[in-house]
Amino acid sequence: MSDAPGPRWPRGSGRRVLPDARRIRRDVEAEIEFHLGERIRELEALGHSPQESRAEALRRFGDLARTRAVCFESDYRIHRRKKRRELMAELVQDIRVAVRQLRRRPGFAAIAIITLALGIGANTAIFSAADHVLLRPLVNVDAERVVTLWESNPAVIDGLLEVAPGNFVEWERRAEAFTAMGLAEPYGFDLTGGDGPPAPATAWLVTAGFFDAAGVRPNPGRGFLAEEYTSGESVVVISHRLWQSRYDGDPALVGQAIELDGSEYVVVGVLPANLEYPAYRDVWAPKVYRPGEDQTRTSGYMVAVGRMRPGVEQADAQRDLDRVASAMAIDYPATNVGTGIRLMGIEEHVLGDVRTALLVLLGAVGLVLLVACANVASLMLARAMERERELGVRVALGAGRLRLLRQLGTESGTLAVLGGAAGLVVAWAGVRALVALSPTDLPRLAAIGMDGRIVAFAALITLVTALLFGLAPALHAMRAEIRQTLAATSHGSRGSRASGRFRSALVVGQIGLALILLIGAGLLGRSFLSLLDNELGFEVENRATVQVFLWDRHPTVAQRIQQAEQIAAAFSAVPGVEGVGFTSALPFHPTQIDAEAGFTIESRPPLADAQAPRAYTTIASTDYFDVMSIRLERGRLFTPADRLDAPRVAVINETLANRYFAGEDPVGERITVGAMDQPVTREIVGVVADVRPTAFDSDPRPELYVPFAQNGTGGITFVARTRTDAASFVPALRDQVQTLDPEQAIYHASTIEQLIGDTLVGRRFSLVLLGGLSVVGLLLAIVGIYGLMTFATSQRRAEIAVRMALGARGGDVTGMIVGQAMRLAVPGILIGVAGALYLTRFLQSMLYDVRPTDFATFAQIIALMALAATAAAWVPARRAARTDPMKVLRQD
Amino acid sequence: MTDPTRQLVRGTLHVLILRTLESDALHGYGIASRIEEATSGLVELEDGALYQALHRMEERGWVESAWGHAETGKRARFYRLTAEGRRRLKVETASWWEYVEAVQRVLRPDVR
Repeated sequence: MSDAPGPRWPRGSGRRVLPDARRIRRDVEAEIEFHLGERIRELEALGHSPQESRAEALRRFGDLARTRAVCFESDYRIHRRKKRRELMAELVQDIRVAVRQLRRRPGFAAIAIITLALGIGANTAIFSAADHVLLRPLVNVDAERVVTLWESNPAVIDGLLEVAPGNFVEWERRAEAFTAMGLAEPYGFDLTGGDGPPAPATAWLVTAGFFDAAGVRPNPGRGFLAEEYTSGESVVVISHRLWQSRYDGDPALVGQAIELDGSEYVVVGVLPANLEYPAYRDVWAPKVYRPGEDQTRTSGYMVAVGRMRPGVEQADAQRDLDRVASAMAIDYPATNVGTGIRLMGIEEHVLGDVRTALLVLLGAVGLVLLVACANVASLMLARAMERERELGVRVALGAGRLRLLRQLGTESGTLAVLGGAAGLVVAWAGVRALVALSPTDLPRLAAIGMDGRIVAFAALITLVTALLFGLAPALHAMRAEIRQTLAATSHGSRGSRASGRFRSALVVGQIGLALILLIGAGLLGRSFLSLLDNELGFEVENRATVQVFLWDRHPTVAQRIQQAEQIAAAFSAVPGVEGVGFTSALPFHPTQIDAEAGFTIESRPPLADAQAPRAYTTIASTDYFDVMSIRLERGRLFTPADRLDAPRVAVINETLANRYFAGEDPVGERITVGAMDQPVTREIVGVVADVRPTAFDSDPRPELYVPFAQNGTGGITFVARTRTDAASFVPALRDQVQTLDPEQAIYHASTIEQLIGDTLVGRRFSLVLLGGLSVVGLLLAIVGIYGLMTFATSQRRAEIAVRMALGARGGDVTGMIVGQAMRLAVPGILIGVAGALYLTRFLQSMLYDVRPTDFATFAQIIALMALAATAAAWVPARRAARTDPMKVLRQD
Repeated sequence: MTDPTRQLVRGTLHVLILRTLESDALHGYGIASRIEEATSGLVELEDGALYQALHRMEERGWVESAWGHAETGKRARFYRLTAEGRRRLKVETASWWEYVEAVQRVLRPDVR
């Protein structure tokens, strides 16, 4: 047939070996050669000499080189197009086959896709958050040079303290490591003069160096001029947010006056948008020291910021500050012995605690991804083993190996793409959940979104896993002797036994990883519970609260006392309100107005300020303790008789009593204290139980309560005890304040339960996320165990049948299979415990009252894991135990 | 070099090739011979141009090619029309006749 003249046309989709460029060039050459040969023959037949014939043939051909080139290029393009079309056709066919294969095994497909989706989704979500919050530099802040400055007094209290203006003035004068330093006093303005009730605006009163130190420049407009810090001129800088929301971004606002607290202030500048420090403030005004304020060195209530000189490291600056602190302790021994200065980088200050939590979550997510990958690998291996015979047959029948590899690759790829798509959905939902769950003060909350790079990264990892473990068995099947593969029965070839061992190792690893996750979550959970177990010292339920600032509208003490009592009376008149009290500093409240200061005890010789007893002073109304259910331990509470014209009195808490009056009765002692007031001598009339001041994990501190009627402070937080759910009373309390004074701004209208809940959001965030991730890890591990045991029992079908035929009972078979699972669970658990013992230390700062190696947690989680492993093996074990031995044996 | 009157009118090479391949699959030399034969040697086409045209036509999908044995037993590349090529032949033939008629009307207005 091939000898017959005429071409052999390609038939149907029959495959040809496609020529490469060289082959195409040769073909063109051969074609032209043939033509010239024929032409020469024709001319010779007409009687021309060979030379003449050749010359004439070439002449008639024309431009040989150009023809060669044109023909080659054409053919090459044809070739490429054809090849591309073939590849596409094969891919489409492969995908079609792959989808058909997956639909034939919906269980396998579903599990693989869910596993991939969870792995990719959880990772993408958490990593997106971590990336946005932690890994990106602060916007508009020179994090290399801007630092926050704090006082410290380790002898009195751990941690960083706010700054006393008298100290800051000295720092500014003495420190050498800084180009600028600034101080800010938290403040609140009421935005008046608009429609409706005045809106509260948080503010900072800043000193001359502040904007320079923080490195922010108002635009449009300017900062404050030097004389504006001394003249007490009414000028403000406002935030971009306030400019946009209240003044519609009006560019003409700069230079105009706005109304704050009922007075006119000229807006001289607007700070840039998206400022990450100083953030969460709407109004800035120049700080003018009150008389004597810049001499105050014992009472800190301000925030300080510094800009380090170029080239100065934080450690250098800290040394400089240590030097300043030592010098001040010598110059002011009465006030500054033991007072240190501490520096904190701006990034740490802004991002704070979130860092640890997110890093832990990131680690957890990594573990989940590993568990997911192990599952995918195991699934793909099992799937490929099942098909080893089929593959062997196809190789034996002459299927191209490359083609077969591509087919398997497409199957894994299709799975990975489906899983990846589902993963994106999970990631999207995850990010939404993250934002919903996260603490409201989580920095950069609004910025969290999905990041393409992260999606790509997670997808790549899972895809590589899927391909790797999808293709490995295919390669194995091809290398193996075809005859051997064909001869092997479902008892399993050598390859499948090796892969079985590998899958066992994967399951052991999964159990270990899941255990680590569970133990981490368990420790956080236990911390949370022991935190909630803490006694607060007051009642939480059915307490509604609002805060007002009376200073501006009621400038004298007498006016403020009158107004506060009127408001309290109005609240009491609301039906369902059982009692009303008020204080300057409500526990767990975000804006507490109290002051920490030294005091002297009249019956004892006076001590230098630095050694003097210290306490937090809070103002409280007569009924405050009763309304909050703060227990009286001895003596009496305030009475209506404790007025301005009566002897000054104070109530102290147990901590103060125990620390400074150990073994004595403090009631009747007289103390002199100057916090929140001029120094006044007061008689201690009672001792009340401790309350936790700011959070479940904040320890009670020495506290001193002063009756409102003898102080008349302006920043007041009311508490109303209500008969039913407090939240429903909040609007009524608002209304009462507005009725009494429509110009009065209201802050933090809420309930105590809500305030307390707010302090737990951060912990709940970590707990829920780590808990969720560990549950995902556990589920994936269960799927892994279940899958492996199902596969193993199907491999051992014949053996089990023989055993049962020989008299083994169902229970024996079940026990055997579950025992097999336990042989995986035990090493898995050991690995997990070892890993957890090492890793949980990184949780330390997130734990409360629980050691990272808490025995009870470890024991419970191990038991849980053992139970889960048993349950996962139970189903396939029962199924195996129910097999009819005769049926199986006949089949083989 | 070539007598200008014997040169092919531009664009007619394609239709000549299509027409030549209408009934038979031929190799390039065969196509050249047939055209010479049919035009009694009045039209002399450059062989190189023929091959360039053939390959371009293959790229456009009007013809397809395959290797086979010529009558002499030598390996040669054969061309045949595709379905697209046949459609093309009709279109090109029709437009040729339109062209001829147009030219004719100018040259011999008496002939209708």
